[in-house]
Amino acid sequence: MEKEELRIGVFVCKCGSNIAGSLDVEGLAEYASTLPNVVYAPWNLYTCADAGLEEIKKGIKEHNLNRVVVASCSPRTHEPLFRSVCGEAGMNPYFFEMVNIRDQCSWVHQDKAQAESSMDKARDLIRMGAAKAALLEPQEIITSEVEVRALVIGGGIAGLTAAISLGNRGFPVILLEKEKELGGMLRSLYRLAPMDLDASEVINAKIKEAEDNPNIEIYTGATIEKVEGFIGKFDITFSANGTSKYVRLGVVIIATGAGNLVPEGMYQYDGDKVITQWELEERFKAGKVDANNVVIIQCVGARSPERRYCSRICCAIGIKNAILIKERNPEAKVHILYRDLMMYGVENEDQLRKAKELGVRFVKYDPERPPVVEENKVTVFHHLMGKELEIPQEMVVLSTPLVGTEDGVKIGNLFRAGLDQNKFFLEAHVKLRPLDCGTDGIFICGSAHYPKDVRESIMQALGAVSRASIPLSQGEVKIEPIVTTLVNKDACRGCGLCVALCPYNALEIRDTDEGRKVNIITVACKGCGVCAATCYRHALSINSFTDYQMEAQIHSFMAA
Amino acid sequence: MQYTTDIRVIRIMCTGRMDPAVMADAFVHGLDGLLVLGCLFGECHYVSGNFNARHKINMTKEMLAYAGMNPGRLSFRNLSSAESELFVKHVTDFSAEIRELGPLGGEADRVPLPKLREKLEIARTALAGPKLRWVVGKKPVFIDTGNKYQEVFTEHEINRTLGGIVVDEMATHSILAALQNKPASVKELAKELEIPAPETLKYVLGLKRRGFLEMESVKDHTPLYKYVEQEG
Ligand SMILES: Cc1cc2nc3c(=O)[nH]c(=O)nc-3n(C[C@H](O)[C@H](O)[C@H](O)COP(=O)(O)OP(=O)(O)OC[C@H]3O[C@@H](n4cnc5c(N)ncnc54)[C@H](O)[C@@H]3O)c2cc1C
Ligand code: SF4
Ligand code: SF4
Repeated sequence: MEKEELRIGVFVCKCGSNIAGSLDVEGLAEYASTLPNVVYAPWNLYTCADAGLEEIKKGIKEHNLNRVVVASCSPRTHEPLFRSVCGEAGMNPYFFEMVNIRDQCSWVHQDKAQAESSMDKARDLIRMGAAKAALLEPQEIITSEVEVRALVIGGGIAGLTAAISLGNRGFPVILLEKEKELGGMLRSLYRLAPMDLDASEVINAKIKEAEDNPNIEIYTGATIEKVEGFIGKFDITFSANGTSKYVRLGVVIIATGAGNLVPEGMYQYDGDKVITQWELEERFKAGKVDANNVVIIQCVGARSPERRYCSRICCAIGIKNAILIKERNPEAKVHILYRDLMMYGVENEDQLRKAKELGVRFVKYDPERPPVVEENKVTVFHHLMGKELEIPQEMVVLSTPLVGTEDGVKIGNLFRAGLDQNKFFLEAHVKLRPLDCGTDGIFICGSAHYPKDVRESIMQALGAVSRASIPLSQGEVKIEPIVTTLVNKDACRGCGLCVALCPYNALEIRDTDEGRKVNIITVACKGCGVCAATCYRHALSINSFTDYQMEAQIHSFMAA
Repeated sequence: MQYTTDIRVIRIMCTGRMDPAVMADAFVHGLDGLLVLGCLFGECHYVSGNFNARHKINMTKEMLAYAGMNPGRLSFRNLSSAESELFVKHVTDFSAEIRELGPLGGEADRVPLPKLREKLEIARTALAGPKLRWVVGKKPVFIDTGNKYQEVFTEHEINRTLGGIVVDEMATHSILAALQNKPASVKELAKELEIPAPETLKYVLGLKRRGFLEMESVKDHTPLYKYVEQEG
């Protein structure tokens, strides 16, 4: 291949006074122009503003640049923009390198005594960036087709909502429910707080809507047996009612819900006189609640050493059921023993006010001195009065948390979707990607993700559907080419060392004419680099993060 | 948030990218300290990259220490992307530690420059070589699920194996490097490389068997060995 002459342009940004306030940006630009292969090195007031971007394009055209370095802010926020501008000017976007002299220099070295050493550092960073830029290679965005069909796992309120919404958007959906019936937890609940709706009516309406939707194929009694593939091309084998089925689909929404903690051995729990909220709901449904002295204990088995998290919805459930008891018999005495009240949102606060108006008593207890349940009474240390309180009782109701399930763990393993230590599904990023799993093309909603009430489950289901609709409606996924490549096929021995370590199952061994060789499933690769750092034959390399490029950065730093 | 100007940042996608040979190369080129900063264990953005990094960095430290460098010059520390104060603490601590150690090849290192550089270069070659990479690559698998005979190893057992290979690799690569310079006898090699003669003989015979060396001539009844150019 003919080696073209390197023509690097370095654009140094003032970022208003963000950078220019403590670094001599014009001096840095002048320094950049003295570096090897740098043919053009202007400074900009704001490189990311329209004027700055125009200058990059003009620079590329007028100076025939084939590498661009921008020394400015964080690649996390600005790299995509600068890359695409380089692309618009006809340069391969991956001939672009970014140097961060704002977050890594001007912002963090403002001490006057650091003025000179901060300039040294900025010069070094720019030199290192230019050294790497010189070794960059062109890359092409990777595209892969998407099978336009979605899988929804779990037929509770979250899964049903997701399936209906996808169906209404015209996407074919397969809805799998492991139980014989759809509906999830709501099938067993009585009234729904905070709007006081009939749980059965709510869920039955949803079930009917799903069953009537021509785009939704429903399977109950279903178990997923095998999962292969990646975003756009998941190959799923499942069995339902004794028959096995295979289907290819593009995206997956996990809505497997949560379980109820059974408080064995706590507060004299016996499922008869001391019951859970879950069991109370069943009794309400059967019209079998007649106790007049009721004590409700919150945070049973939650916010404890073995389960540190707050289940968020149990306060609302406890108060909902306290209100129901009071409404049935205003003379009933209902005590709620709590640690903190988690009644977030306007409607929940109204419920709390209503409970107080109806005469529900609230007693705060200290987890160090928890209430003691005895025959006919509960003793609790009253935090504010500073003394023991004896409350007569005919029924004790324990508010236990929603817990992650083994079903969830199985699904997590099959799809390589991560769970946290409490067996709830983990989002890819709390703020930036709250509806996505770490593995592309898999989304989460409902209490599989974290304890949620019905409204939140519905909202999250709709959100997950919006996310899942992106690849479905585009019909293809575009992937950043920062992935691994088999740079030396001859070297690969097909040993599988890399395959075992890839956290995304993006590698496999295949028999080829030249023997066993690694095959890269590029769409699944995230470019972490583990494989390249591991291969004992140096057969693999990560685009834009090659050994040579990293070494060049260090060499150029040392060559000051 | 303010901190020392001592550090220069090189971006990588995940600490799993850290290649033992690249880390060694940095010290060959005179770097005084290399700090690898990555996610907290169990919270890796790339699932398990930081565990892989830990194995590789520990091995690299052991190899470089064996070559004569103070292992404190290479360090792996962890934080979440939300912990700016911890970031400041890590870089402040590390910079102070490196200032305490002084420039590479000074008093803090067992071997002085320029000899250290030669030894580090040999260490780099060994870290780029198949043996150490193979074992460290297999390490997570062996600890997790065992070898093909279903023997699961403790981390301690594998570290012992790795430790042994570090010693062997340093010796064999030193011998190869010396013989690439000029042919020598086992006795001469033992003296130059400060490896006991019986050990040196063992390594030389091993290398000869694998075709890396051959006898060049016999001088005063002692064979002289020379390096055989390798293909590919
Ligand atoms: C006692 C109690 C009272 C409550 N009261 C209220 C209230 O008043 N108001 C309110 O808003 N919320 C209330 N909730 C919360 C409400 O139940 C949840 O918000 C809701 O159930 C979450 O719906 P979901 O679809 O995420 O999960 P679920 O309802 O748990 O449904 C999950 C479904 O997935 C299925 N599934 C699991 N694993 C698999 C698998 N591997 N393959 C296929 N299918 C699978 C399950 O069988 C189930 O049908 C209450 C909860 C409890 C426990
Ligand atoms: S790329 Fe390297 S580690 Fe992977 S199979 Fe080939 S030789 Fe083995
Ligand atoms: S770079 Fe990471 S994700 Fe990609 S194939 Fe290698 S190990 Fe797997």
